[in-house]
Amino acid sequence: MMSIQTPAEGADTFPLPSRESDRGRGGENQTNSPVGADDTLLCVTTDIDTALAHSAEQDQNFASIHHATLFSRLKKILPQGALLQVKEDLAPYECDGLSAYRRIPLAVALPEDEAQVVAVMKACYEAGVPVVARGAGTGLSGGAMPHEQGLVLSLAKLKRIVRIDKYSRTAVVQPGVRNLAISEAAAPFGLYYAPDPSSQIACSIGGNVAENSGGVHCLKYGLTVHNVLRVRVVLADGDVVTLGSEALDSAGLDLLALFIGSEGLLGIATEVTVKLTPKPQFAQCILASFDDVRRAGDAVAAVIAAGIIPAGLEMMDQPATRAVEPFVKAGYDINAAAILLCESDGTKEEVGDEIARMKAVLEGCGATEIRVSQSEAERILFWAGRKAAFPAAGRVSPDYYCMDGTIPKRRLADMLIAITELEKKYGLRCMNVFHAGDGNLHPLILYDANVPGELERTEAFGAEILKLSVDFGGTITGEHGVGFEKINAMCEQFASDELRIFHGIKAAWDARGLLNPGKAVPSLHRCAEFGRMHVHGGQTAFPEIERL
Amino acid sequence: MSSTTIDEFRQQILQRQPLRIRGGGSKDFYGSVPSSMQESNLLDTRMHSGIVSYDPSELVVTVKAGTTLQALELVLATRRQFLPFEPPRFGDDLSAATIGGAVAAGLSGPRRATVGALRDFVLGLRLMDGVGRELKFGGEVMKNVAGYDVSRLMAGSMGCLGLILDVSLKVLPMPMHEATIGLALDQQPALELMNQWGGEPLPISATCWADGLLMIRLSGAEPAVRTAQQRLGGDLVEADQAAQFWASLRDGQHAFFAQTSPHATLWRLSVPSVTPPLEVGGSSLIEWGGAQRWFHSEASAEEVQTLAHRCGATATAFRYAPDRTQVFSPFAPGVLKLHQSLKHAFDPHGIFGRGRLYPEI
Amino acid sequence: MEYSGAVAFIRKSDPLMETHLADFIRDTSTGKEAEAILRTCVHCGFCTATCPTYQLLGDELDGPRGRIYLIKQVLEGETPTQKTQLHLDRCLTCRSCETTCPSGVKYARLLDIGREIVDAKVPRVGVDAALRAGMRNVLPRAGVFGTAMKLGQMVRPLLPRAIKAKVPPLTSAGPLPDTATHSRKMIALAGCVQPSMYPNINGAAARVLDRLGISMLHAGSAGCCGAVRFHLGDPEAARDDARRNIDAWWPLLEAGAEALVMTASACGVQVRDYGHLLQDDPDYQHKAARVARLTRDISEILTAESARLQAILTDLPPPDAASKQMAFHSPCTLQHGLQLRGVAEKLLTAAGFALTPIADSHLCCGSAGTYSVLQAEISQRLRDNKLAALLGPVTSSRRPRTIASANVGCISHLAGGTEVEVRHWVELIDRRLTGQV
Ligand SMILES: Cc1cc2nc3c(=O)[nH]c(=O)nc-3n(C[C@H](O)[C@H](O)[C@H](O)COP(=O)(O)OP(=O)(O)OC[C@H]3O[C@@H](n4cnc5c(N)ncnc54)[C@H](O)[C@@H]3O)c2cc1C
Ligand code: SF4
Ligand code: SF4
Repeated sequence: MMSIQTPAEGADTFPLPSRESDRGRGGENQTNSPVGADDTLLCVTTDIDTALAHSAEQDQNFASIHHATLFSRLKKILPQGALLQVKEDLAPYECDGLSAYRRIPLAVALPEDEAQVVAVMKACYEAGVPVVARGAGTGLSGGAMPHEQGLVLSLAKLKRIVRIDKYSRTAVVQPGVRNLAISEAAAPFGLYYAPDPSSQIACSIGGNVAENSGGVHCLKYGLTVHNVLRVRVVLADGDVVTLGSEALDSAGLDLLALFIGSEGLLGIATEVTVKLTPKPQFAQCILASFDDVRRAGDAVAAVIAAGIIPAGLEMMDQPATRAVEPFVKAGYDINAAAILLCESDGTKEEVGDEIARMKAVLEGCGATEIRVSQSEAERILFWAGRKAAFPAAGRVSPDYYCMDGTIPKRRLADMLIAITELEKKYGLRCMNVFHAGDGNLHPLILYDANVPGELERTEAFGAEILKLSVDFGGTITGEHGVGFEKINAMCEQFASDELRIFHGIKAAWDARGLLNPGKAVPSLHRCAEFGRMHVHGGQTAFPEIERL
Repeated sequence: MSSTTIDEFRQQILQRQPLRIRGGGSKDFYGSVPSSMQESNLLDTRMHSGIVSYDPSELVVTVKAGTTLQALELVLATRRQFLPFEPPRFGDDLSAATIGGAVAAGLSGPRRATVGALRDFVLGLRLMDGVGRELKFGGEVMKNVAGYDVSRLMAGSMGCLGLILDVSLKVLPMPMHEATIGLALDQQPALELMNQWGGEPLPISATCWADGLLMIRLSGAEPAVRTAQQRLGGDLVEADQAAQFWASLRDGQHAFFAQTSPHATLWRLSVPSVTPPLEVGGSSLIEWGGAQRWFHSEASAEEVQTLAHRCGATATAFRYAPDRTQVFSPFAPGVLKLHQSLKHAFDPHGIFGRGRLYPEI
Repeated sequence: MEYSGAVAFIRKSDPLMETHLADFIRDTSTGKEAEAILRTCVHCGFCTATCPTYQLLGDELDGPRGRIYLIKQVLEGETPTQKTQLHLDRCLTCRSCETTCPSGVKYARLLDIGREIVDAKVPRVGVDAALRAGMRNVLPRAGVFGTAMKLGQMVRPLLPRAIKAKVPPLTSAGPLPDTATHSRKMIALAGCVQPSMYPNINGAAARVLDRLGISMLHAGSAGCCGAVRFHLGDPEAARDDARRNIDAWWPLLEAGAEALVMTASACGVQVRDYGHLLQDDPDYQHKAARVARLTRDISEILTAESARLQAILTDLPPPDAASKQMAFHSPCTLQHGLQLRGVAEKLLTAAGFALTPIADSHLCCGSAGTYSVLQAEISQRLRDNKLAALLGPVTSSRRPRTIASANVGCISHLAGGTEVEVRHWVELIDRRLTGQV
């Protein structure tokens, strides 16, 4: 039986390195390097190796740490009411947007500025207590789910827009600022922040950086990684580093790219500089209906093959349109088997030209109805339905489970058909909402947790979709992150050598493994167990987690 | 055949001797050269070449590291697609540069400011680490957030972390139409215009100011290019001439880049685009909407680095530096520590490209 | 399970809102209703983005999703303390979250249920208890409040600043039209607070309706709609208010009055809920439902009559450039409660006023009925933010001359924080029609 515990010695396995020797300064810590004379420059340290071995091989245990001194320290650091400690207050923090996985944290800290974040990090580092960052808690992979021996560090109060500069087209914001709030603040200058996750009304820029979030327009305008210039990061030990710069390039390795998408495992973002994009003069959106999902899937590839990069290219199947239409009244054709939303933006002439070309392609692919937005209000309404699609699932089913694989576009139709088969196999319904243009799938498996066994079937259903995504040459997660939820699926996608590199990267930033432990990268031990489980078959994804 | 090449690579790595990874050698002039570099053995990637897969409707090409840029771009052109970051080729023989070298150097061409850098188009890669393990990161799809983004970390790593074997890149359709205009302007007003226009939805794909002339390339649908051309004014440059101009700029062949004196270094500064004209004594060449500045100077590296630091920039002694022990901007101690530990994770024995990026790694 | 050391315990299996309600409530109709609401929440967090208290305080516990969680705990049998009570108290019941929620969670209903249980389990003490009792008894009684208010107005020049802010300058209802003129008749809500504080609002509504050929009637014995007592945790008293009003209105409705006109959107929300409030009262359920159906906000009535209104307006000279600059604050009860967004705004624009665009127009001004007294600090911060959004910089040439709103609570609350005139929008329409602007 699998256990996520290391031996009971707990904290003893993580001797507290003095601050100087941490992350490898200091001569006597060096291993013997086989190469030439000037290798004193190569700081190779035993504590990294130790940490590496631990985090790679085993999940860690933080159980035997004494918290009293930590708490009294935190109380001094934080303002009144900004440290939550009793269960009544902690329970609402037990999960993020994926509420199937929940843990009550040790405590929740609500700092108000970077100085408090630094002080909290230092206190936790010295106490050896894990820290889980939390933005708006809209994540869909359990990334911000607490650690039961750890502190939840909420960045929600750091929500100041520090500066918007029209001339250099940049915004400097604190991590708790909502994605949409940046665009709203930039709007008077004719600028906006391009990545627009469907959750943009609520999700924080810090969370976006941690997840490398995409959006419905990222086919043309890129993901978070393409639109962030600079991040200030508080490291696990409380040191502050700046990654990237307001210039386009910065010196050395691209640590900014490495940090973006690191799911709160490498550091805490406390200030983010984003690139702002000029608002296109004009945009129009096509709403195309198809009576067959395969034809809709093929149309997606056809649009791209025609040399068009639409500003957005999304697909929703019938169950999805039927769920949102009553709330949003976006005017979706609920009789179509699937609809595509294809957007074009640019100058008026450009858009007219591109819309005409897309229309021709879509007609050629057998669209049964094509509508072009006739006003900005109508265009926004077309998108409103798409952006509300996940929560709207709550209207048609008590529970849903959102998947996030990405596959090559040419396999879209195959995937849809495979999902239909799986629906039969598991006796569950699935509604499909795809960022079709970049092959990112969001099948929402609908289930009712009150019905015994449905969640287990849902998980098995989901696992099959992820496996198919990998088999089709894709990935298990396009934008929602691995978090806690897909940690076993990581063992499908990566071999142990690759995982070792991941653990090496982790150790370079956070040698003691205090940031968001147990997320994003599985230990080799877990994968070994997972593999064995696979062979035996039939077991559920997280046997160590108690089921109610 | 390829697997034997890879076995050869592995054998070389397993000897645990310092290695300098090299493709066409077009960027030999670039990067730091510590005194120990001469002792390094060469690892030549050119045996490992060819396109692994290319599906135009996926907008993705996967290619072996030793493939030349020229060969790759030719294949893409047959499907009217291209590498949007316009990787420079450099060197006397413009056909020598390889894609592996381009990725490792991480340099981007004139389109950088408007469509993104090389690293923005890296989707995945396969590499061999310092103990000979073959590893695969990222993939062939546009969006992938499983695991840390090692692929992008490799872009610009100057061969100091591992040997890039194959790389998957996002490609784009070639623009339907292109036009270049020239405007006679002094540096200050040219900078102002570049920044102002950068904030407007115009189809600008490249900018360059030098010697009182601002060149602007417009790319996109024909009507959009035409409207923009009317809006910006200036004189239309003849198409062939324009193409030649942008290529020479990209490949470092433009006359501005030629050595001016035996003691002068060609500096490249990456600055916030709104930085006012730099006080550098001689003439400058400006690209990327104001965000990249080139100049020749006999000033010491310290002086230039101080100047760069003052304006939030990084400076690279790009070419002709008399001393190449450290050509890149130094960074804060915290960041240096991260570099060292990352190096250790990929290359525990410290054999790859030692000193090429920084003397410390 | 093999665990060594402390148990790594992750509760997993049920999605959040698969609830396990405690025995005391599981099989009641309230319990079933609460469970159904909880089950629609998918924990997406969208609602936190538009919640005024979450935006101000940044604590999950002060946002709708957190409050839903707190209520869920209570329904599952956890004993609440003053902590839970405080976070529920801080809710403005502005229902912005309901407008945002894509999953259709009936938050306000759940909150009512939660508050009732929590208040029963956590006794109110000290100042809090005294304030609540006082307001429950004084505010809803037009007579008592009126006397207190008149006194206040007469001594206004002598009052200290803080109290002065809440006592508006004395105004009269203005000349009232004869109610017998027209065959079309509608009933006004006499209300409690509004007639004494702002008699001109109903006066203006009566004059505007008169121009449109409608007479506005008053039913003598009707009074407070019941919202005050309802939101102070006394639903039974609120039901009494509703029954008394229905009794007062019924004869007029039977005599052919076509609608109940609401000039305070908060009252509109309450009266429109009478059907639900009295659903278990066999004597009143049908009458209550009819009253609810006939309840109209004044903006709905004027929109229905907009052709006539426009005909009158076109004959008038346009307002002068300075006095037409205006900012409209849409009360939560109007935009989220009654879901009437952009309706009054459209009427004002049609009447020739120029409305300034307002950032975060979905956010509450902090008035929220009795909230401004009970949660004074949050309330004031919200008011300051709202006024800043409405008025913009003092130096701006487009700084509005007037703030218009649609609910007495918001009007007096906002007026307390600015020198700029704050009015009900129907008063401004009245001014236009009577040639004052
Ligand atoms: C309805 C719905 C639709 C969605 N649509 C999309 C979509 O279209 N595209 C998309 O990409 N995602 C989408 N998401 C997922 C989610 O909104 C994004 O992942 C978002 O970026 C999370 O932001 P957050 O502020 O809520 O972060 P949280 O959920 O609070 O945290 C997410 C992760 O980031 C870490 N973190 C948070 N803040 C920081 C910080 N300051 N420093 C370091 N680490 C930090 C946390 O530890 C955690 O691992 C959707 C979610 C929902 C509920
Ligand atoms: S009613 Fe208003 S204050 Fe209360 S939770 Fe909803 S949005 Fe927040
Ligand atoms: S928006 Fe609705 S579904 Fe989402 S958390 Fe709020 S109440 Fe729940």
